[in-house]
Amino acid sequence: MAMPGSLRRQPANRGLVSHCTHHHIVVFLLTFFSYSLLHASRKTFSNVKVSISSQWTPSCLNSTAPELRPYKLWNSSHLFPNAGEATLFLGTLDTIFLFSYAVGLFVSGIVGDRLNLRWVLSFGMCSSALVVFSFGTLTEWLHFYNKWFYCCLWVVNGLLQSTGWPCVVAVMGNWFGKAGRGFVFGLWSACASVGNILGAFLASCVLKYGYEYAFLVTASVQFAGGVIVFFGLLTSPKEVGLPELGADENDVSVEEDANRPLMGSDDVDDDDRNYSVQATDNDSQPKAIGFFQACCLPGVVLYSLAYACLKLVNYSFFFWLPFYLSKNFGWKEAEADQLSIWYDVGGIIGGTIQGLISDVLQKRAPVLAVSLLFAVGSLFGYSRSPNSKPINAVIMAITGFFIGGPSNMISSAISADLGRQDVVKGNSEALATVTGIVDGTGSIGAAVGQYLVSLIQENLKWMWVFYFFILMTSSTILFISPLVVREIKLLLHERRLRMLAE
Amino acid sequence: MLGAVGGFALLLLPLLLPRAARGVAVCGLCPGLPRNGSLVSRFCESHGDTESDGRCCRERGPTSGQLLGLDLSNCSLHNVPPELAEATTAIVLDLTENPLTTLPSGSFLGFTQLQSLAVPPALECPGGSDAWQDVTVDRNSRLCQGQRNPCNTSVELAWPCPENSVCAPDGPGLIQCLCDGPFHGYKCLREGTFPMLLFGGILGTATVSLSLLLWGTQRRKAKTP
Repeated sequence: MAMPGSLRRQPANRGLVSHCTHHHIVVFLLTFFSYSLLHASRKTFSNVKVSISSQWTPSCLNSTAPELRPYKLWNSSHLFPNAGEATLFLGTLDTIFLFSYAVGLFVSGIVGDRLNLRWVLSFGMCSSALVVFSFGTLTEWLHFYNKWFYCCLWVVNGLLQSTGWPCVVAVMGNWFGKAGRGFVFGLWSACASVGNILGAFLASCVLKYGYEYAFLVTASVQFAGGVIVFFGLLTSPKEVGLPELGADENDVSVEEDANRPLMGSDDVDDDDRNYSVQATDNDSQPKAIGFFQACCLPGVVLYSLAYACLKLVNYSFFFWLPFYLSKNFGWKEAEADQLSIWYDVGGIIGGTIQGLISDVLQKRAPVLAVSLLFAVGSLFGYSRSPNSKPINAVIMAITGFFIGGPSNMISSAISADLGRQDVVKGNSEALATVTGIVDGTGSIGAAVGQYLVSLIQENLKWMWVFYFFILMTSSTILFISPLVVREIKLLLHERRLRMLAE
Repeated sequence: MLGAVGGFALLLLPLLLPRAARGVAVCGLCPGLPRNGSLVSRFCESHGDTESDGRCCRERGPTSGQLLGLDLSNCSLHNVPPELAEATTAIVLDLTENPLTTLPSGSFLGFTQLQSLAVPPALECPGGSDAWQDVTVDRNSRLCQGQRNPCNTSVELAWPCPENSVCAPDGPGLIQCLCDGPFHGYKCLREGTFPMLLFGGILGTATVSLSLLLWGTQRRKAKTP
């Protein structure tokens, strides 16, 4: 039996610890910070919005006061007549970004599986850094302000940024097997939040020199990250001759029995491949899976739809929470910004703990379902939070735990599970494609959600926004319920078998 | 030798031209020289080292120097001519004996040096009498003397300057807001200069060393498919 085969027979929970080499740690850190940097440059944009909109508008005083002089210093910029319209435009840019990001995710997953993941990731990081640099720094240095130019750049940026997530999840999926994946990915999903904090920190450090330097700094750091990824990232264990991870499988007889014929042929395939890697390295690259094939993989469509609903709620929390807090409770904007970090904290802890539980159970859908049921309750509780910062922070962290946690888990660990399931194994590369589909559908949900929330919030009361969130969370539960039923059946079946064996 | 000097002057001319040309149009607005014994000619005589150029008197120099005085009296002006904006360096200005009806508030924008201004007696001093230390009226003119700094008045300004900027005088009764201290750029939003070299150096070094380190430990042995 070849190495991969014997590896596959190992008990699930020992896989993580016994095979953790320094390569694993470097891959974890590199992918973590790659995505953090991508997210940091998005956060920078939202943090410099105030500065940008004042750069784009003339000084606005009340109508009775005379115009400020000298004219060139105070009123020469006329891209927008007032700050309100600039804010509206910046909101439009956010929506444009989310949509082009969603479209890009579908494409770049497919591209990532066909080309070298390292090249795609490093190209995505460097080129998107250049776009951000042109958007924020170059236009300001040249004093070239043009709405359409900004829109075009942001569409391109969305497309380029979307290369990040499918690639990093695919690389992580290559290195970390299903055993322990829930925990590792839960911890790793903190990269988005770390990116937010990093972006906010970098922006606040250099904002006093001018907003163009906030863009310059994040873009250069992101570019440097792309270069480092190019020189340092190993996309898969087989690149250094380590045994490749087998397909994820439940080391349980039920599934194995079902897949016996498939796996038998797989093993042969594996042997061949290992041999060819050492010998010629030619045509060892497995064929990539097609887009529609990937959609047809079991669970992909259901999880994508579920994630669309859940990401909608999750992103609405990101975008609207500070605004809601300062509007509804009258808290200062900076305080509200700081307080909203607790939602992230809850999400990270939630993702990690729920991932750990799902590793032990070896089933993810039931954990998600339970967490989401609690999420409905915590949303209801949060909508009735009293006007007190500590209490609000605690309920916010709990809500983050039950909403951010499952959201992180679907976008990382479950995507990786789906892309490396038995059906795919051996004959194709599907990881990035599947991740792209799941996250892309989710991003469309998020983009639509931003629009809907602003609509509901303007026309109805905030309470209706929360009812909308509850509706969306319930739809998520609805979409994953077939999977929950199937997995619980499997779980019971396994237990029965085990009891029979004893 | 002379040719060389001339060539040098010709080279300099484009640099000096904007300053030298300033006031030319306004000086030729009316025929003649400053009236003998008028406010402007008295000022220029006492000042010494000046020369007249049409209705103007300016500092004497190899090229025409800064405009110091301008006599537009008896010019049949019905309103303030736009060319007046060229004479912002004037210390003395005479507008008497013209059928002027108003002095719009912005007419004297930038006239921060102006010390004596004579206007027809029917008109108020620009910026109001509060903007001047001394206002005297006689048969032919109203003489506004000694500009007050509008930023230093004990009365609070109707509109304070925005953040990071300070008030500066900008002509009689007029103020402008200029960036304060380390602030600069549009709306004085920027402070200090970005340490570009330091940032580039640190980032470049970190990138190169991390790339080398990771290449050595990770990718050196990698087999690229």
